[in-house]
Amino acid sequence: MNAHGEEAPVTVTSDFVRSYVITGGRRLPTADDLSLHTLVTLAPDRELPLGASPEVRAIWDLCGGGYLSVAEVAAHLSLPVGVARLLLTDLFEQGHLLRRAAPPRAQSVDRGIIEKVLHGLESLYG
Amino acid sequence: MTSLIQDPLLWILLVVLVAAVVAVMRARRTNMALRRKSNDLQSAREAATSERDRLYAEYTQLNAQHAGDLAAVRKDAEEDTKAVLKSAMRTLQVLADEQQLIIEKSQRRYGDDEQVLGDLMMIDHTNSQFGRRAQGIAVLCGGWLGRRESTASVYDVARSAQGRIKHFDRVTINTQVNVSVASRAVEPVAVVLAELLANATNYSAPGTRVDINIQAVPTGVCLIVDDAGLGMNTEEKARATVLLSPQAPVDITSLGDPPKFGFAVSGMLATRYGFKVSVDSVSPYGGVRAVILLPENLLTTDVPEPEGGAAKAEPKPVEAPPAAPQRLTPVATPGGPPRPIGTTAGGLPKRRRRGSPVAVVPSPPDPAEPEFNTEVTASRIGAFQRGTLLGRDTTTMEGPQDQ
Repeated sequence: MNAHGEEAPVTVTSDFVRSYVITGGRRLPTADDLSLHTLVTLAPDRELPLGASPEVRAIWDLCGGGYLSVAEVAAHLSLPVGVARLLLTDLFEQGHLLRRAAPPRAQSVDRGIIEKVLHGLESLYG
Repeated sequence: MTSLIQDPLLWILLVVLVAAVVAVMRARRTNMALRRKSNDLQSAREAATSERDRLYAEYTQLNAQHAGDLAAVRKDAEEDTKAVLKSAMRTLQVLADEQQLIIEKSQRRYGDDEQVLGDLMMIDHTNSQFGRRAQGIAVLCGGWLGRRESTASVYDVARSAQGRIKHFDRVTINTQVNVSVASRAVEPVAVVLAELLANATNYSAPGTRVDINIQAVPTGVCLIVDDAGLGMNTEEKARATVLLSPQAPVDITSLGDPPKFGFAVSGMLATRYGFKVSVDSVSPYGGVRAVILLPENLLTTDVPEPEGGAAKAEPKPVEAPPAAPQRLTPVATPGGPPRPIGTTAGGLPKRRRRGSPVAVVPSPPDPAEPEFNTEVTASRIGAFQRGTLLGRDTTTMEGPQDQ
């Protein structure tokens, strides 16, 4: 018993609060509602809801300054996108968030032009 | 005289006298014999009694020795069992932890697909409960819990505990307390709270809620778990009280089948880490009120890194966003680091540049380059300025020396 008791305790590195606790075990919204590229920002003159979770507070801070995409919010919170999406959907339904659809995809541009621009930039700054 | 001699009465009297004397003599002899016999018997009895006492003492001693031996053997067996179980549990704990990490990674990787993520969350939930069981048995066997490197807010400790039980969705957490639990106590408190929550949810009707109220008290912080179950009877309360403040290691075989680990685990951890657990009051809903009292020395006012903060993002180089904006910033706003962007002149919120999902330019160069860029620009301008100054100075100051 003693021989084993001297082992140093293992360090636990997994996330402390599990994602299903953050969502409260609720159904996750579909990706159609808020796609990865959808931009969200805080609606003007909004008060942080009372008893907001740390994650909601973090979203509040992140989105207060300008538009941020759903993917960025998730990355900053270090949460799976689906979880961030649920939190954002909540805030959106409560009217705290504004969202803007993703900008249309750029048309494919001639590769030659891009290379020329790149070379131009490189000669300027490289 | 003759008349007297001839008097038959005298003879009769004489005969009677002689007879009496003989009788007395015989009686005396009998008496003596009886007394001797009695003495013999008494000494024999005393000998028998002392023999009996000796035998009794011997019996008691043997009995005690037997009991002692039995206890020693049992203790040895218990310790051996515990040692084996402990190392087995350790393997399971490590496996559960590794699995949790893998699940976490998968959750991030497939986070955009709500169905996959939902399934991964279910696996995660089951794995957490599995981990808690392994932790509980390990603790009872004298093993250790994994240790957390950082402090955690009491609220997060409560949420972590909530994630380790089956019916976590019945638990609500109310708190106004903004303190953190010292890193060494984070895991034990979470495990104990999880055990209390498991009891609370298992012994109350499905669908009823279980509340965690976190309150600051003069000596520390209280975590109060209230359920709406039937409560405990006096006998159960007494048993719980004994288990919650154990005087000696708990005998794992005494916990019933199926074993009820909760209170025993809580008691062991509370004693080891120096906090108090009690379950002897009644909740406002008529069920059990369990209270964990964390003393000041297990608390800290250090604000933990918010969930998903910089500390968490660091070990995951996959998440490139921090690098991307720095690459782009010099181009977007030349001549300065990214300014905090507020609103435009028209009052519209401005898009933040950082973290924008621009992945058009592949980034083989090292991440140090962006900062290097601004520095290069600055140093070039500086060099240019120095050069012109130097050039002008040469004619006046250094010229004579060179020539």
